[in-house]
Amino acid sequence: MHLPRTVHPDQFKQSFREEAREILVELEAALLELNKNRGDRELVGRVFRALHTIKGSGAMFGFEDLATFTHNLENAFDEVRNGRLTVGTELIDLTLSALDQIRAMLEEGANGAATADAAACAEILAKVRHLTGRPESKTGKEKAAPLEAGSKPSFEAGAGATREWSIHFAPGAEFMLNGANPLLLLQELRQMGGLSVKASMAALPPLGELDPERCYVSWDLVLATVAGREAIRDVFIFVEDGCEVTIESASRLASDADSSLDQAASGAADRTARALAESRVAGGGRRVYDAPDNASSLRVPAVKLDQFVDLVGELVTVQARLSEIASKHGDPEVAAVSEEIERLTSSLRENSMNIRMLPIRATFEKFRRLVHDLARDLGKNVELTIEGADTELDKTVIDQLSDPLMHLIRNSMDHGIEPPDLRAARGKRPTATIHLSARHSGASVLIAVSDDGGGIDGDAVRSRAIERGLVAAEAQLAQSETFALIFQPGFSTAKQVTDVSGRGVGMDVVRQRVDSLRGSIDVASTPGEGTSVTLRLPLTLAIIDGLLVTIGDACFVLPLANTQECIELTRADVAAANGKHLVNVRGELIPYIRLREHFNITAERPQIEQIMVVETEQGRYGFVVDRVLGDCQTVIKNLGRFYRHVQVVSGATILGNGAVALILDPERLAQDAVRTIAQSARGHPARSALRAEVRERSPAPQREM
Amino acid sequence: MGVALEQGEESSTIRLEGAIDIGLAGELKAALLKALTSGGELRISIGGATDLDVAAMQLLWAARRMADASEMRFGFEGQVQERVTAALDGSGLEFLVPKNKSN
Repeated sequence: MHLPRTVHPDQFKQSFREEAREILVELEAALLELNKNRGDRELVGRVFRALHTIKGSGAMFGFEDLATFTHNLENAFDEVRNGRLTVGTELIDLTLSALDQIRAMLEEGANGAATADAAACAEILAKVRHLTGRPESKTGKEKAAPLEAGSKPSFEAGAGATREWSIHFAPGAEFMLNGANPLLLLQELRQMGGLSVKASMAALPPLGELDPERCYVSWDLVLATVAGREAIRDVFIFVEDGCEVTIESASRLASDADSSLDQAASGAADRTARALAESRVAGGGRRVYDAPDNASSLRVPAVKLDQFVDLVGELVTVQARLSEIASKHGDPEVAAVSEEIERLTSSLRENSMNIRMLPIRATFEKFRRLVHDLARDLGKNVELTIEGADTELDKTVIDQLSDPLMHLIRNSMDHGIEPPDLRAARGKRPTATIHLSARHSGASVLIAVSDDGGGIDGDAVRSRAIERGLVAAEAQLAQSETFALIFQPGFSTAKQVTDVSGRGVGMDVVRQRVDSLRGSIDVASTPGEGTSVTLRLPLTLAIIDGLLVTIGDACFVLPLANTQECIELTRADVAAANGKHLVNVRGELIPYIRLREHFNITAERPQIEQIMVVETEQGRYGFVVDRVLGDCQTVIKNLGRFYRHVQVVSGATILGNGAVALILDPERLAQDAVRTIAQSARGHPARSALRAEVRERSPAPQREM
Repeated sequence: MGVALEQGEESSTIRLEGAIDIGLAGELKAALLKALTSGGELRISIGGATDLDVAAMQLLWAARRMADASEMRFGFEGQVQERVTAALDGSGLEFLVPKNKSN
């Protein structure tokens, strides 16, 4: 197909790739579900339709090899639909392997993409043919001759009777410009049953005014098929944006209309014409649209979204300047406008952040395949359960979650979950469980990978760490410190390296990735019962609500989501505490950290300081500052590579007056404080009193009544 | 391969060779307009066309309407190839080229 100079074929191939990737995810999920419920006809239908759609649209967008390959798989599931083939492990595994090859074919030509393995494809097809007993089906290039009768998949879905569907298809003006070919769509429909086609040139302008690359033709079609509305809809799935597509049951319309027309019916052509006429009558001249098609959604390249959020960030910074100037001038009119702009900016910021928030479902779901494949390879029975898949977090965070989760799951499958005989000997369920969960916690999201395997052998971890010189032989490690060792580079207790894990690389990748996201890792494990690794990650990496505080001349931002309250700390309070860094808040003793000391700020201390009480993973902590200036919207700027090891600071922001404020990470500050106190206490017994401060933070446990 | 306009004193012929699709639509439109504004008869030599897409079909239909409006003679010559016939029939635009010109 020649394309006009204004068209970039890659652009349309890219659109197809994006759509097809989503269908492949759905296909994979349906296959894995079908593996568990092999008699489910609806699942078979889902798999068949997905394959059919990828095949048809692939051919249309020039992916002929992909179309040919997929066509053979579609045939196999057609046999299943018709009861001539049963769903077995071999068919499921073959189709899953085929999906990998389809993915590779899809990415061929894209940057740095892997290509499909021709030998593997041939082997898959040979096995599929062996299963179905059908010869290889050709489509793609050989089917490129338009409207040539090809190998038709049957749409007999069991008891379904043939129905007539009235379809109105008016391509958008840009339809052909986008590389789509209406004739191929009509050909697809023709493969589903008897098709009557009426083209309308009513919208065609005079030749002089006609844009030769635009589509002015529309079609009224009547399709007699056993396929349902959804299957017909799938034909248009890649092109419906901007097109007018109406699918109505002509049979139903006919029964609703004047029965005398029915009685006068004779011959297929008459029926066709009448059904078309009746569809207009039934709609009172107004076409009935399927509700799902009217749901408006827009596919926007991620880069455009990032640019948008960057611009909102710039706006937030400028708005802060405006607020600063307005407060200096004291002009009520300027102040009113400034407040209004602040309100709008805040709303715009919230909306733009929401656009970037995505549910984690797709990321979680794709691990079903990994668990399925690894379970087969390792000879273990493992079930993946998912909880909180609708939990939303920033797209940037989601994009970086796949690798760490994959390594955690591989590690669980290989080292955590016991072989079936050992599980039986331990009296456990033969099928092990890996549980993926997500939930919000303040400004963070907690992602956990848990298993009911053998748990981490703390002694083995410790011995290996001593062997590798990571800790001294006499070191006393808390359980959390011992478990943290598994994230050291190259650390592994595995007796042998397998294809799955054991090289000590995976956990290091997890730690690095979580660090880069400014997150933290918590490991809990009980011998014989299982392990749970929880990743705490920020909800967003772009803009947050913060509280602006000062210590001397330095400005800092504390995330508002973590901050609970602010209380005064007078010199008298300090004296009364006998040098202990504890404050009594309504009966609860809360340890506090003097940020002035933590950051070595030597400016003069005010008479009254402020304690910001912050909720952290470690419990409630106070951070002592000089003044609290108020809340602010904070655009997080990266500190750059020179400061990448400064853990307690999560970024920087530019204030309204142009000054730079560091954004503090309360979690890391609290961890840092606890670690410093614990190390000091261990290394210097005289400082054990400091450690006691942390223990004293909570009142004595109450006796249960 | 492509679109070639041959203009005589009383008639013009546009020869279509190969696949005539959206990539040649601009060229086809220009040729049709030039032939129709110069008057006389317009013949479309379609025998060399191996395929027609919707962009080409709608141009030919618009040209036919323009010729009819200005009472010019407009017609096709040559044996229509099988794929072109299939494309016309499949798209419901079979009325564009008279049946006696299709094989």
